Amino acid sequence: MSYESWILIVGSLAGVTCGITGCFLILRKLSMLADAISHTVLLGIVLAFIVSQSMSGIYMLIGAVVVGLLTAVGVQMLHHAGIQEDASIGVVFTFLFAVGVILITVFADDVHLDVDHALMGEITFVPWDLVQWGFLPELPKAFLMLSTVLVINLVIIGLFYKELKITSFDPQMAAAIGLPVLLIHYLLMGLVSITTVASFDSVGAILVVAMLIAPGASAYLLTNKLSIMLLLSALIGVSAAVIGYYLASWLDVSISGSMATVNGIIFALVFLFSPTKGLLSRKFTMKKLKMD
Amino acid sequence: MNDLLRMILLDANTQWVLIGTMLLGIASGVLGGIALLRKQSLIGDAVAHAALPGICIAFLLSGEKSLFVLLIGATITGLLAAYSIQFIISSSIIKEDAAICLVLSVFFGFGIVLLTKVSQTPSGNKSGLDDFIFGQAASLVGNDVKLMAGAAAVLIFITALIFKELKVLTFDPSFAKGLGLPTGLLNFLFLSLLVAAVVVGIQAVGVILMAALLITPAIAARYWTNSLSKMIVISGIFGALSGMAGTLISTLGEGLPTGPFIVVTATALFLISMLFAPERGLVTKWIKRIANNKQLRNNKLLQGEKRSGYHEL
Amino acid sequence: MNPVVVENLTVAYQKKPVLSNVSFEVPEGKLIGIIGPNGAGKSTLIKAILGLIPKAAGEIKIYDKKYRPKDRVVGYVPQRGSVDWDFPTNALDVVLMGRYGHVGWFKRPGKKDTEIAMECLKKVGMEKYANRQISQLSGGQQQRVFLARALAQDAKVYFMDEPFVGVDAATERAIIELLNELKRQGKTVLVVHHDLQTVKEYFDHVMLLNVNTIAAGPTEEVFTLENLTRTYGGKLSFLEKDQLIVEQK
Repeated sequence: MSYESWILIVGSLAGVTCGITGCFLILRKLSMLADAISHTVLLGIVLAFIVSQSMSGIYMLIGAVVVGLLTAVGVQMLHHAGIQEDASIGVVFTFLFAVGVILITVFADDVHLDVDHALMGEITFVPWDLVQWGFLPELPKAFLMLSTVLVINLVIIGLFYKELKITSFDPQMAAAIGLPVLLIHYLLMGLVSITTVASFDSVGAILVVAMLIAPGASAYLLTNKLSIMLLLSALIGVSAAVIGYYLASWLDVSISGSMATVNGIIFALVFLFSPTKGLLSRKFTMKKLKMD
Repeated sequence: MNDLLRMILLDANTQWVLIGTMLLGIASGVLGGIALLRKQSLIGDAVAHAALPGICIAFLLSGEKSLFVLLIGATITGLLAAYSIQFIISSSIIKEDAAICLVLSVFFGFGIVLLTKVSQTPSGNKSGLDDFIFGQAASLVGNDVKLMAGAAAVLIFITALIFKELKVLTFDPSFAKGLGLPTGLLNFLFLSLLVAAVVVGIQAVGVILMAALLITPAIAARYWTNSLSKMIVISGIFGALSGMAGTLISTLGEGLPTGPFIVVTATALFLISMLFAPERGLVTKWIKRIANNKQLRNNKLLQGEKRSGYHEL
Repeated sequence: MNPVVVENLTVAYQKKPVLSNVSFEVPEGKLIGIIGPNGAGKSTLIKAILGLIPKAAGEIKIYDKKYRPKDRVVGYVPQRGSVDWDFPTNALDVVLMGRYGHVGWFKRPGKKDTEIAMECLKKVGMEKYANRQISQLSGGQQQRVFLARALAQDAKVYFMDEPFVGVDAATERAIIELLNELKRQGKTVLVVHHDLQTVKEYFDHVMLLNVNTIAAGPTEEVFTLENLTRTYGGKLSFLEKDQLIVEQK
């Protein structure tokens, strides 16, 4: 397969995976926690490297899940101890991220990981970073990781769709009918962690946040149905990745940055022009109401 | 080690850097304290990330790496981000967390796009701008440091001037309006101060970790007092301590970034406060609760005896 | 066997007790109003009974057993303001959520569940709005959807947190009819209630709460000026003028 098509495939996979998972974050008002996890996953990767001395995908996934959940638990604990939620998030993620950066600089000679790369991703290298898994032919590592994570996410969201839905809409009622609300919360945080780490190589820690939140936010303004919101979000994620790629190669700029920017532009358009919930249509209905 | 430390401390430039980070710590501690009470902690995070495109645009337009010009660019996009967040929340069903996250990541993504453009310009080896991501206070020299220190001092001064008004606005916005205070203007002033603190701090702490300097000292201070004024002062002191300690540690080794060490120091101060502060510290409270529970149980036994039977419907 | 028995329940946030030594029993097949001033712990009481918040001390029994959600004997209507009505879903879907406890893990609600949900919407007069996005419903309609969801739970005891707050007169009448219908079916309904004027009209039993149980029992015995004064303390002075007229009738 050609170089360009690999980049498009990996970008689209990241778009779908992040787009779907992100919807639940928006509905649960947990976007900032995803932002936090996407930063602290850096620490997970560094730790995984120090422990295993390899950059193999599976260790990175484990490290990411451990630190991602640690972030979620830390935030929960501080919040429980009486600190505002947003501030708890701010304290926890900046600390864990700082530790990650320090570890990278201290072990700079051993860790083959540069911080810029981790933050901004380098999707241009993705087609060359090949690995072989089992009987499969040699394939790009980012492709394998993202496909694995996409399958995991789809299976889990499929299996627990109604539980995720009710705990997002009405956690009190969910608890009253005996659902393990907290467990489902951590399950979702686990998904966010593996999604982040799998998207890491291609889009980087901070831009993965754009891919998690922006498509979902746009989809939220376009539909009244959760299942359609998930579908739209995945679609928007893919479109932003593809358009972002072509825009980047046309202008000769960072691909991941361009994908995030396109996501932002799509959101701005939806925000203004969405048929029911857009700024203009709302203004218009208000005017009409006044006229009547 | 001691000699090294003495050497560092006697160096004129290092002294300036220390004064700069101290003033920065005070400014961001104070403003962060108010932001915390206004539940706007993470807006600082978004503003910090949003500074990146501003820095790049300023560089692309002016073609030079004058710190002053870059900071003006950062201030403009920072303010734009803060207002975008408020606008998205007020005019759509998108909630605050998603709005902050969205603005933060999209602005930063756009900043990265511009950064690649900057590195392609003949004059722009991007290494200089790169430092804005993690902060390099120790390597700052001459006028840049003095600019940082001066700007931080001005911020502290302005905040002190309008502290009374900010206090009312924070505590009860509608009451502030009733008093005839220009709340819109005050809101703008506060956001501008916050953005300015973030922008000034970026070169020392970096865009990603700047949020910590706004949030962590303020949270730590919250444990020591219930009075707003005292909390702001303590928050400023914690900020100053973190700024200075982080800078010192990062000068000890070559290539160590300043920001992460400032954050780790601030978090250590926070943990100490959370555990051991008198009255509100967790350990203190835990000890009290044990004593309290014992008393509660004793009372209950007494009440149980007195009660002749419970109310039946 | 009494459906709900609470003994010496104490709930505390930090140091301050929100409920202290609350004890009462609820007879089967009655409408019970839980009455008390703001901050009396009315919602807390319901949440503690349902195990949504931890209790510091005390015993709670539902049909003589420790409350277990999987027994599915309890239906719950939270305060309308406790959820985000911008959630992308429609009225029928919300009612279907009431069936989730019956459906169980890994399964989707089936055709029969949808029929039951439609039936419940009909009972609250909302069948026309089944496919309406929930943010486009009025406050009263949203409350009816919540009630329909509780009906879909098909429980024996219902807990309702302030169902009458912010609803229109038509909804209030619909809710009352529904409560009476539930009573006729032998169900027990506990309602956190605000409006002293309607207490006598709506409820068979009342429980007056202000951190402690002030009094509990049949409405005509317990809902007296003296008990109310003890419940509301000084705040009653302004209530006396208009609302306790009902009392003297």
